[in-house]
Amino acid sequence: MTTTPSFPAFSIGYGTNGFTDHPLPDVLELLHELGYGAVALTLGHPHLDPFDPDLEARLKCLRSRLQDLDLRIVIETGTRFLLNRREKHRPTLVDEDAATRVDFLRRAIDIAAVLNAECVSFFSGILPPEASPESGWKRLETRVADVLGHAAGKGVLLAVEPEPGMLVETVADALELRNRLGNPEGLGVTVDIGHCVVVEPGGVRGALMEAGALLANVQLDDMRSVAHEHLPFGEGEVDVALALKTLAELDYRGVAAVELPRHSYDAPGLATRSMAALQAAWREAQAGKAAEEWLQESVARIAADPGALPAVFATASRTVGRGPLQPATDPTAVLHGSNSDYARGELIRRLREFRPPEDLAESLLSLYSRGDSSERRGVLRGLGSMAVDEPDLPVPVITAGLRLTAEALRTNETGLVAAAVGPFAAAFLDQHNWRHAVLKLIFMGVSIAAVTDLDERADDELARMAADFAAERQAAGRPVPDDVGLLLGRAASPSISRKES
Amino acid sequence: MRIFDPHIHMTSRTTDDYAAMYDSGVRALVEPAFWLGQPRTSIGSFIDYFDSLLGWERFRAAQYGIRHHATIALNPKEANDPRCVPVLDEIPRYLTKEGVVAVGEIGFDSMTPAEDEAFSRQLELAGEFSLPALVHTPHREKLRGTQRTLDLVRESKVDPSMVVVDHLNETNVHMVKDFGAWMGFSIYPDTKMDEERLVAILHEYGTEKVLVNSAADWGKSDPLKTASTAKAMLAGGFSEDDVDRVLWQNPIAFYGQSGALILDPIPGFDGAELGGAGETFEGNSLLRGVRA
Repeated sequence: MTTTPSFPAFSIGYGTNGFTDHPLPDVLELLHELGYGAVALTLGHPHLDPFDPDLEARLKCLRSRLQDLDLRIVIETGTRFLLNRREKHRPTLVDEDAATRVDFLRRAIDIAAVLNAECVSFFSGILPPEASPESGWKRLETRVADVLGHAAGKGVLLAVEPEPGMLVETVADALELRNRLGNPEGLGVTVDIGHCVVVEPGGVRGALMEAGALLANVQLDDMRSVAHEHLPFGEGEVDVALALKTLAELDYRGVAAVELPRHSYDAPGLATRSMAALQAAWREAQAGKAAEEWLQESVARIAADPGALPAVFATASRTVGRGPLQPATDPTAVLHGSNSDYARGELIRRLREFRPPEDLAESLLSLYSRGDSSERRGVLRGLGSMAVDEPDLPVPVITAGLRLTAEALRTNETGLVAAAVGPFAAAFLDQHNWRHAVLKLIFMGVSIAAVTDLDERADDELARMAADFAAERQAAGRPVPDDVGLLLGRAASPSISRKES
Repeated sequence: MRIFDPHIHMTSRTTDDYAAMYDSGVRALVEPAFWLGQPRTSIGSFIDYFDSLLGWERFRAAQYGIRHHATIALNPKEANDPRCVPVLDEIPRYLTKEGVVAVGEIGFDSMTPAEDEAFSRQLELAGEFSLPALVHTPHREKLRGTQRTLDLVRESKVDPSMVVVDHLNETNVHMVKDFGAWMGFSIYPDTKMDEERLVAILHEYGTEKVLVNSAADWGKSDPLKTASTAKAMLAGGFSEDDVDRVLWQNPIAFYGQSGALILDPIPGFDGAELGGAGETFEGNSLLRGVRA
């Protein structure tokens, strides 16, 4: 039913630093076979030694191979021990002596020119302890200016990559560097979407939008916000679909390459799964687009004819589909809902903008009581979206929302119960009923990943309830769900008091 | 073997039935709104029932790997109770819901003026919402009832191809066939129709526009009658393609006219049997009204 989506104007690539146990020709063939349209080539061991005496012949051969396989190429310069066999990445552009780094970058530019590469990507470096930030910026400016001059002569685009912990750490820093250099045309920005969850204040979307037209190179990977560690898609916190959607919105036409430098041991597997994950994310982004269009049309229709709401609400899935909103992590759509649940929820959220609170509350009650299960999930998701937007919702909306949340929690439909423990319940449901909702999920075999603010609201009483539940299951010789263990170790400090009933 | 039971009252059945139906090949079904054995006395009773058909029952079926659809209507028996008739004003809002694939069961029970009125009005609704109509033929006075049913459809603007006339037997099948409507047969343990008689009817009238259902409910009935009919067809000389046409493709062709069938695979269950059905569904909304 789902066909392989063609990505829009940009090309999906894979970094050779994730293929260090394969010779370069094999890497290129594998990537081509797996549907990649680009390669991000890291210079140095083991694939292409920039100091190789036979470099010219090797480049000629490589260039023709890239043409044969129809692969675009970007040059990456993050080789760990190329310039210093003991200290990785040293010297950097912010060290006192950076001559070998500058020479290497000039060489990378020469190589990029021969290979007709999209750009040469480079980073700033970690500021050495003895240097002040300002001296670091001065060093960086001087050296980048030098390299830029060389690149301009060769017609090669440079892209500075913000790296967590380095002097240029965010896109804002990269723009600052450009600014200091007089905004040279030949200097763009590389964005690694994983880094964004670690250091970018505006997240993935914010960082990409900030780079905007200056975006010259993209690295794709997952990451957790607490550690600069490149992870396979699905193992971190990056919203890949949002990243791809944003790239499409920016009409980005360069290369976006998977960056998994610590996963060479299973490179072909990772490359296969990464492509599948990116395709799924792209489908997700496309579904989101259909939802957005439906939303705009529906809002306009309801604004013109308020009576159209029930019919518009009921037929949402005919336009936006009923597939899972997060197919990779929630294929049954129980935890996070379907595309139509989401679209309906967003419609409710927009209604908040132009319906007075009393009318809105009445609409919520009516849509819920006259809706089927999917419409009811939509109403509950809408309550969640509004609660995220406004910590202090109007009283009539809260009253209606609490009534509907209670109704949903009384049912035994997993999707309804999961939709009722989102942000609205987190913000407004009393503690007693909230605890029972969490325990009910476990009882029904639904993951408590559905619960919003679990850490903030979990308390000793919930841990006690979970322990009793576990004891009951054990007494019956039945398995205890893993989530029970999560609750046992999760009691929050008693200082957090919430609407105790 | 994949089976679509186009008429079964699952609300009256157990989870064991769902499991056995899945094992016998049932992957999708339609549950028509009907009476509950115990007469209703208020509209609220209908509303909760309709909501349950679109909510809890659909959820319950999905737990057992079966796609559940519904038809919504005021049934002929209760059309005679003035306390129930106002539910007709509530029905339109149900007809736009996903998975509501027809107006039904409508038709006659005792051939009263009140039944006549509810029947005509609901045929109008079917036309207005571009939905098929599922028509029940009476247990008593079946021949006269069938004749009057066809007259009412003829008077309405509903095309015969959008109508299935159900619970047919040897005496009235020719009338429905000649009229151009779909022919529904309810295979029961003792009464309406059995497997062998159905096979004989198929030999005489062909497989086109034939729907076979178990119509299982709270009475003596058997939700596996669709599977046993399939076996009887094979034993009676029909091919596996014929069986697939009668027990899978025909229900999809008929109810697919609603544009509201849900046939995408259920996560966690093998979706292979649904095969092209998902695509049929995708194209379903395009088919809306085209065959009318």
